[in-house]
Amino acid sequence: MEELQFDVTVIGAGPAGLAASLTADKAGAKTLLIERETRPGGILKQCIHDGFGLVRFGEKLSGPEYAARFIDRLPNSDVTVWTLSFVSAIQREQDDSILTVITREGIRRIRTHALIFATGCRERTSRQIGVHGRHCAGVFTAGTAQYYTNILGELPTKRCVILGSGDIGLIMARRLTLEGAQVVGVYEAKPTPSGLTRNVSQCLWDFEIPLHTSKTVTRVFGDARLTAVEIASVDPCMCPIAGTEEIIPCDALILSVGLIPENELAESIGVPLDSKTKGAVVDERNETLLRGVFACGNALHVNDLVDYVSESGEIAGAAAASKEKKCRGLVPVECDQSLLYIVPQRISRNAEMQERVFFFRSAKDMDNAMLTITKGGNLLFSKRFSHLRPPEMERLPVLLTPEQLFGNEPLRFHLEELDHE
Amino acid sequence: MSYCKRINQTLFARFGGRVTAREQDRVLYLEGELDRWDDVVAAGLLAVNHKKYDGLVNDIRFTGGEIPPMRLPKVTDTVLDGAAPDVLVIGGGIVGCAIARECAKYDVRILLVEKEHDIAMQTTSRNDGMVHPGVDLIPGQVKRHYNRRGNRMYDEICKQLDVPFRRSGQYICFRGKKLAFAAFFGQLYYKLIGPRVTYLRKKAFFQREPNMNPAISAALFFPDAGVVSPYGLAIAYAENAADNGVQVSLDTAVLNMTVSEGVITSVRTNRGTIYPKVVINAAGVFAEEIAKLAQDRFFSIHPRKGTNTILDHKASKRMHTIVSSFGTSSTKKRHTKGGGLVKTIDDNTLVGPDAVETYQKEDFTTAPENVAFVFDAQRKTDTALNIRDAITYFSGVRAATYEEDFVIRKGKWTKNIVHAAGIQSPGLTAAPAIAVDVSRMAAELLSKSRIVRSNESFNPIRTGVIRASELDLPARDALIRENPDYGEIVCRCEEISRGEIKDALHRSIPCDTIDGVKRRVRPGMGRCQGGFCGPLVLQIIAEETGKELQQIDKSAPGGELLMGAIKEVMP
Repeated sequence: MEELQFDVTVIGAGPAGLAASLTADKAGAKTLLIERETRPGGILKQCIHDGFGLVRFGEKLSGPEYAARFIDRLPNSDVTVWTLSFVSAIQREQDDSILTVITREGIRRIRTHALIFATGCRERTSRQIGVHGRHCAGVFTAGTAQYYTNILGELPTKRCVILGSGDIGLIMARRLTLEGAQVVGVYEAKPTPSGLTRNVSQCLWDFEIPLHTSKTVTRVFGDARLTAVEIASVDPCMCPIAGTEEIIPCDALILSVGLIPENELAESIGVPLDSKTKGAVVDERNETLLRGVFACGNALHVNDLVDYVSESGEIAGAAAASKEKKCRGLVPVECDQSLLYIVPQRISRNAEMQERVFFFRSAKDMDNAMLTITKGGNLLFSKRFSHLRPPEMERLPVLLTPEQLFGNEPLRFHLEELDHE
Repeated sequence: MSYCKRINQTLFARFGGRVTAREQDRVLYLEGELDRWDDVVAAGLLAVNHKKYDGLVNDIRFTGGEIPPMRLPKVTDTVLDGAAPDVLVIGGGIVGCAIARECAKYDVRILLVEKEHDIAMQTTSRNDGMVHPGVDLIPGQVKRHYNRRGNRMYDEICKQLDVPFRRSGQYICFRGKKLAFAAFFGQLYYKLIGPRVTYLRKKAFFQREPNMNPAISAALFFPDAGVVSPYGLAIAYAENAADNGVQVSLDTAVLNMTVSEGVITSVRTNRGTIYPKVVINAAGVFAEEIAKLAQDRFFSIHPRKGTNTILDHKASKRMHTIVSSFGTSSTKKRHTKGGGLVKTIDDNTLVGPDAVETYQKEDFTTAPENVAFVFDAQRKTDTALNIRDAITYFSGVRAATYEEDFVIRKGKWTKNIVHAAGIQSPGLTAAPAIAVDVSRMAAELLSKSRIVRSNESFNPIRTGVIRASELDLPARDALIRENPDYGEIVCRCEEISRGEIKDALHRSIPCDTIDGVKRRVRPGMGRCQGGFCGPLVLQIIAEETGKELQQIDKSAPGGELLMGAIKEVMP
């Protein structure tokens, strides 16, 4: 079997992979972009609602329009694009990666100097959150329901309950309503919605769709097709409270209960993951702890804005294309329980740029909060936030000098709510 | 005092005259009324005596709930009207399919009817896939006999039917010094009466299964245990049967029979009336109902539900074969040989099952308490077992008799029926052997009216669906170059290609549902549970069968996934 050589290989042609491959190509690297679906664009292909690109392009684009801004650049680049191609296995040889790729033309072997995982994320399923009852037709994740509706033009429901107030669930509540289906309500086990505030307002309030917090679906009923769900209130530990059950007739349960970064391929070559993000541990260039292996986009951590996904791909693409490979001198970045997570989890003491961009989410809703970064007891940075919500990711550029990063103590992130003055 | 009288006294003491027993023609009948199902079952278990009677019929009326009627197919037509097969097999589970295939070795016309939309839809698909060595079976039991014979047949039958089978062995683990001692003596017991066994001290066990509970002090290893896909094997049996001329009619339920002078003369179904010469009862949880229609009811089925959980491949790397602990619910309950932790043929860890008596024969719902119970029990084997690693869970219902034994025999009163009833664990292991005997009994019955010869053209070999990802790279590459569909991955979790899915749709047993494809070639069995591949499989089924997208069912008619076009594309 012949072996093809590339400087940079990107797995996944969603927004992260598109940005990564175009950036690597622009930097002069011989770049391959591998996509398992028939067309590039990733999940954006089915996101026909608007709101994409506000940060990057200053306009409200639909998902396919946003993707097109990148896809349209491919023909004028030297990026080699393989669609309907599936990475089946990866081996490591020194710092090179050897990929086995399944395509309709046969099996191809790729040797690549740098490898970028832009593999996106998948949806949590009904089983992972413990929905019980009969295994009937009519239980869909929101993304799958979105595929049926927007790609196939087929409605998966006429009257549904949506469990989980993640962004896709909110968007599907509106989308299904517009198509004439009845959304009985959106139910959220947590006391606050999981999606962006703008989505709660534009997708639910504008369409008079009720949102019930601290309630969950405990069981589904039906034979061949779902006919009803059981709803129950939950206590602060998210356990259903006996006696609060209520049966709601409907033909579908649509789930928007979280996204999980897809990292099974990365794990297969031993890329260490962060248990908080479920994505790879990376430095500020999105390089994982394995040299020459990068991660970006939702595979790295689940973003709420595609603009940041593209940025993350560009960072990985530029770093992967640079040939230079000096010692990184990694300093650990840690956060306590006041933050859900922090990315990157390492920063390089030897980086040229002094500006580092961190992404984080607060662990709970906070008004008037102070973020501090300390190292070995020394305060390096602090910033006040008037409002923080876990569903809204914060992008935080911080200037850090080599002197500040001296020593092996970790950088510690901490959030504290200040008293109202 | 007669046994019946004594039993009546015992029943009186327990149920205060609400239940009585009477015997007739070597069958013990229980009558009366009880409002708790557990009491109905308890009365049966109290009265049963397999030495004195051919069977126990429990006619105690249950007043505490409504026993749901058998789910019936939606279709009604006359396609089978007037059919006159030599052998009618009722039931398309592992037992019925194996019997149909073995019957095809004779020159007889065979019709298999299954009320569900596909083969292996009920207990067979809700099974832990263990091929049992027969650890806790007692000499004299019918099931022990068939388990031993069936176990020995597995290598060959799986080779013939092209079904993956791994004889990976089973550990039964013991905790603490006292139990290690017991294990040592247990080994001597098995050396006397079988199955084959090896005693492993702590160190030897942990060399083989290093991630199990450190409190384990010794283990017995039974090398004859193995794992197989239960539905995979049933479908393979059915396909090979169909390849050899067996007619398989799905969505076909037996509704009634006419019996005259001890002979079944006709069998009414929702698809017409059939006039078989011999009837085989392999109806699983409904075997008692079939026996009743055939006027040959001398046993009762008390359904027993069990729940299994499947773990992600990643979490499944912790163990290599079947590991159970002595004293967990699954080994303690005498009549349910739950596997404990089973590394399935598809390399997932299966956790389960439990055993709960139920009056609902088709209650396949799951409940969190059952899953939690099983996890708690199995943590004795692996303390790190985490419910968060579960990718799915499912329930099945065992068709237990009160004798807790199989009923493999010709009819007691009716002359042209053979029962393969009361099949619960180890029914999967026993099925190949049961099928050989039952087909022979059917041939014997037929030979009273005609000469039964062997079928000279019988072909025992079935070619399964190619599993492309299991080929070596050059062979896989060559396959793709011959047929590019094998190079298009549809299910990324399990790495299943379009070629494999198309193959599954065009075999001798028709398949046109998402779950049918899933059980044949595994798209949707992985960690995303069909979130990504479901819509793609749906489109492939529509393309290949010529149906509209909205007509495609998840599992059975009435289970359509889509409900109509969106507004923009309406005409």
